[in-house]
Amino acid sequence: MDASEIEFLAEKEHVRVIPNFSQDKIYLISGDLGPFSAGLPVSIPLWLAVNLKQRQKCRILPPDWMDIDGLKDKKQEEADSRFFTDMPSPFYMEITQLLLQCATDDIPGADEVRTLIKDIWDLRLAKLRSSIDVFIKSGASHAKLNHLTLLEMNTVRQFLTKALDHMHRLKLCVSGDPAVQQ
Amino acid sequence: MSDLVEIDSLLSSNTPLNNTEDGEEEAMTASEVLQKLEEAWLNEKFAPDLLPVKSNLVECMLAQIDAMEANIATAKKGDFRISVHRMEIDRIRYIISSYLRIRLAKIEKFTTHVLQEEEKHRDTDTPLLSDAELEFAKGYNSSVMSHLTNTALRHMPANVASLNSKETAVVPLVDSYVFLKVNETTENVLIEEETVDAGEEIMDLLQGDQHIMRYRPVASLVESGAVSLI
Repeated sequence: MDASEIEFLAEKEHVRVIPNFSQDKIYLISGDLGPFSAGLPVSIPLWLAVNLKQRQKCRILPPDWMDIDGLKDKKQEEADSRFFTDMPSPFYMEITQLLLQCATDDIPGADEVRTLIKDIWDLRLAKLRSSIDVFIKSGASHAKLNHLTLLEMNTVRQFLTKALDHMHRLKLCVSGDPAVQQ
Repeated sequence: MSDLVEIDSLLSSNTPLNNTEDGEEEAMTASEVLQKLEEAWLNEKFAPDLLPVKSNLVECMLAQIDAMEANIATAKKGDFRISVHRMEIDRIRYIISSYLRIRLAKIEKFTTHVLQEEEKHRDTDTPLLSDAELEFAKGYNSSVMSHLTNTALRHMPANVASLNSKETAVVPLVDSYVFLKVNETTENVLIEEETVDAGEEIMDLLQGDQHIMRYRPVASLVESGAVSLI
């Protein structure tokens, strides 16, 4: 899967914005939005928020978890835990990326948020690599991947699934399954 | 302007749509259909083999888009909502076309296999291919066969001048590993068949869990919607 497609999925997540215009409810195929009234926060999908921001029609309120102290705690929790911790958003990386790209001025401490998210990402990927190592060496046929986000899975998808496919075939060859030997 | 609101409210997510296919009637809202279509898109993307076609979802969404476009055409120029609706339509279009493209790519890859499978499914409630896809698969198959015959087979000695499509068919590797998310708790799933040196392996899939495992044991669960591929 392409990373841009994961971003596409992340864009469905809702964020709160403060519009600077008023508008009745909009009836989208995916659900109703609004009503919008200038100055009052409203929850809309990220794709629309980014677009409105670019047209300078709104101010984006950063999601609750995008807060420096909270992220510092999260980073500590991630570093202390042997397992993956539950992230506040399944698309934390993509949302940060998108918001920091188009709405830097709406996010307090944007640079620090960027660094913290990157640190958490790095911690998690290092954990992912070492757990893959353990998984492969154990020779298990399946693994549970709770709390891993889509983007994180995607970084190892090609390599891991193909490697496991090959190992499975080799295993079948050893056990003498005639279907593989053809 | 008032037209826009009227038709808009017809499309609002609170209005159940009647989705008739195969005589069975399901009431679903537009946003539920979209949700299902997205799931079908991702499943199709990651499944190693071709899944039964979801033509009712695709058709329903296309009808929604058409209605919305007719609706936009009557709206006043410069209405703020037009651009919002346009963007949404573009997003849905992308999902639909990506879904159909992935299916076509699989049909091209596994033509013979798909046609064989389709025959088994043809008269059931869940056909593997839509009518258009079936036509495409047949046409593609005959083009490839006649190409191979004209360029190579007819120049071969008589004893090797035939092609057994059953033996040369490319079949999907259903033992490929996939990532999946569990939507409904399913107990006692057989993960590993009993082999010479290891016993069978059975596990419970709990709702909300994510796993990586081979596709074969969960293939039926993907079709029933108990798990989604991610």
